[in-house]
Amino acid sequence: MDERVLLVEDDASIREVAALGLTQAGFAVTTASDGRQGLVEFRQGPFDLVVLDVMLPELDGFEVCREIRRESRVPIVMLSARSDTVDVVVGLELGADDYVTKPFELPELVARARAVMRRSGEDPPEQTLVVGTLEIDPAGFEVRRGDERIELTATEFRLLLELARRPRQVFTRELLLERVWNYDYLGDSRLVDVAVQRLRAKVEADPKHPTLLQTVRGVGYRLDPSG
Amino acid sequence: MSARSPIRPGRLRRRLTIAFMLVAGLSGAALAAGSYLAARESRLDDSVERALDQSRFNLEFASSVLASPQSRTEAVRQLLDALERRSGFATAVRVEGQDFSSSISIRPAQAPPELVAQVRRGQLAYQRTEFAGVPYLVVGGRVSGAELYFFFSEAQLFDELGQLRTILLVGLALLVLVAGGVGTLVARRTLAPVAEASAAARSLAEGLLATRLPSGGRDEFGAWAASFNEMAEALEGKIAALSEAQARERRFTSDVAHELRTPVTALVAEASLLSVHLDRMPPEARRPAELVVADIARLRRLVEDLMEISRLDAGQGAVRLELVDLASLVDATIRARGWIDRVRVQGAAAVVESDRRRLEQIVANLVGNALEHGGRDVAVQTGADDAGAYVEVEDQGGGITPEQLERIFDRFYKADPSRTGSGSGLGLAIALENARLLGGDIEVWSERGRGSRFTLRLPPSLAVAQPLQSGDGPVAGGAQDEARNRVGG
Repeated sequence: MDERVLLVEDDASIREVAALGLTQAGFAVTTASDGRQGLVEFRQGPFDLVVLDVMLPELDGFEVCREIRRESRVPIVMLSARSDTVDVVVGLELGADDYVTKPFELPELVARARAVMRRSGEDPPEQTLVVGTLEIDPAGFEVRRGDERIELTATEFRLLLELARRPRQVFTRELLLERVWNYDYLGDSRLVDVAVQRLRAKVEADPKHPTLLQTVRGVGYRLDPSG
Repeated sequence: MSARSPIRPGRLRRRLTIAFMLVAGLSGAALAAGSYLAARESRLDDSVERALDQSRFNLEFASSVLASPQSRTEAVRQLLDALERRSGFATAVRVEGQDFSSSISIRPAQAPPELVAQVRRGQLAYQRTEFAGVPYLVVGGRVSGAELYFFFSEAQLFDELGQLRTILLVGLALLVLVAGGVGTLVARRTLAPVAEASAAARSLAEGLLATRLPSGGRDEFGAWAASFNEMAEALEGKIAALSEAQARERRFTSDVAHELRTPVTALVAEASLLSVHLDRMPPEARRPAELVVADIARLRRLVEDLMEISRLDAGQGAVRLELVDLASLVDATIRARGWIDRVRVQGAAAVVESDRRRLEQIVANLVGNALEHGGRDVAVQTGADDAGAYVEVEDQGGGITPEQLERIFDRFYKADPSRTGSGSGLGLAIALENARLLGGDIEVWSERGRGSRFTLRLPPSLAVAQPLQSGDGPVAGGAQDEARNRVGG
């Protein structure tokens, strides 16, 4: 079955051509022209991916992103006006998985959509990993600490899994961008930084003084199971 | 004063004071000298007049005494006794070769010889002389064969004249001192507005356009202050109008770029869909479609560059510092744009603390420019020296003339107007603005027929040392520092 995509974009031309491109790429596309309608459509889901413009009438993209994250860990790609603003960081902090800068070419959007969805699906079955007090179950897409179940988005899960597969190894941001976000080169390293922050907030006892997810200054990140 | 000699405030004040003292001193001296000479003349004439009167009387008296039938000697003694009772002069008589005098210190021989000669010819004559340190007016005359010399002492007269001279000199000195004081005061008060005006002009030059001089004076300085203020007013108005116009222009550019963004986004997306199907189009539609796709790409670059430059103008650019290796950044930038076959990349790793995205943009713009205008053999070299890190982009193209070189970073400047390249005409301007935002600069060297070299120079960074791995785990991938955000303009 085709993967279902919800596209929320207020400009009619952009909406139509993006929907056309995603459809031609094999997605089943539902469109919405403002934030409120977007949320309504989302709740009639389910969807495998949400493509969300930042600047939307009624309810802006950030609000919609926040609402969706409350209910679901569906992958979200934001359409941002430009890459160097706080827009991007705010979106990522609210739980978006990636962003595409306007103007964009459709193959670029399709590639990012596929990359984000690959993270949430089709993982080869793996055994449950135990890292310190954490239990990571790749097959069940689940993270547990004792009886407590920890809710992670697809990106956060992939990031944790990537780090946990080789404990204590230091990963550069570039390597994580390649493995987790599927960027060949020139990805935005803020994607990694924001995702690590979000992950810490969920799995660390004290997110301000992380012991599990450590920063290696000047190099990157690593996971220390003894932490 | 030569323009090169240093400006010393107070010089004019000193000069004015000295001029004051000179004028007062000279005129005072002339006046004093004149009055002294006149007084001296009249006093001396007076003295002669009185001496002559007295002498005439004395001679008449002498002639009556000497005419008496007594012995010559007796008569002379009687005469001297009589004259002695009159004060003011001493008398010396020479008669028949014998000298008599009323005072021990006075002798007829002390009369000056010229006077003696005149007296012997029978004239009444006078002459000034000095002996034993006393000035005398000597009057001589002959009567009844006797030569009479009256010695009038002028010591008091000359004392008085000396006193007068002293008084005049002291007065003159006082006058000069007072003139100096008054001159300093007047100069200071006169020049105060000049100092004020120069301070005001300086602060105006430093950009404090609201600077004004206190006006309201009714003198020349008041008028000057009024015109100065008028000038400052006009300047302030003009500059305000200029910056307002510039701000308006920039706002307009920014608005235009923003308004264009949405349709351009749609166009770019549409063109990207269209280009997938170009092969399947009928031949008569295919070429126009190709052109549309290419032109949309051009339009996109133009709008993105316009937005970038208006962001830079507005000072909205955030600088995000992290450790960046220039060599790998250049390599990645050139690969990402598919230029790797056309550009030679060389150079050592050079780590700087800078903004990765902006560096990418500068490198891309410089290399893109070299490929478009320089043509073949584009080489990029990275490195670091004492002045900091650098990226050199060199081509073997036609080069740039010095006139073109001056304007090469101007917005929309095209060295060859007949060429409508795919660039927006903003690439180099954006590169330069970004370089400056990062604390660096771009240098250009070019020679007609040999090619051009653009050098991005970055300031020496505190964190240039290659960071080393820490911890016990192996390191995967290259080095990159913890990202830090800095919002800057």
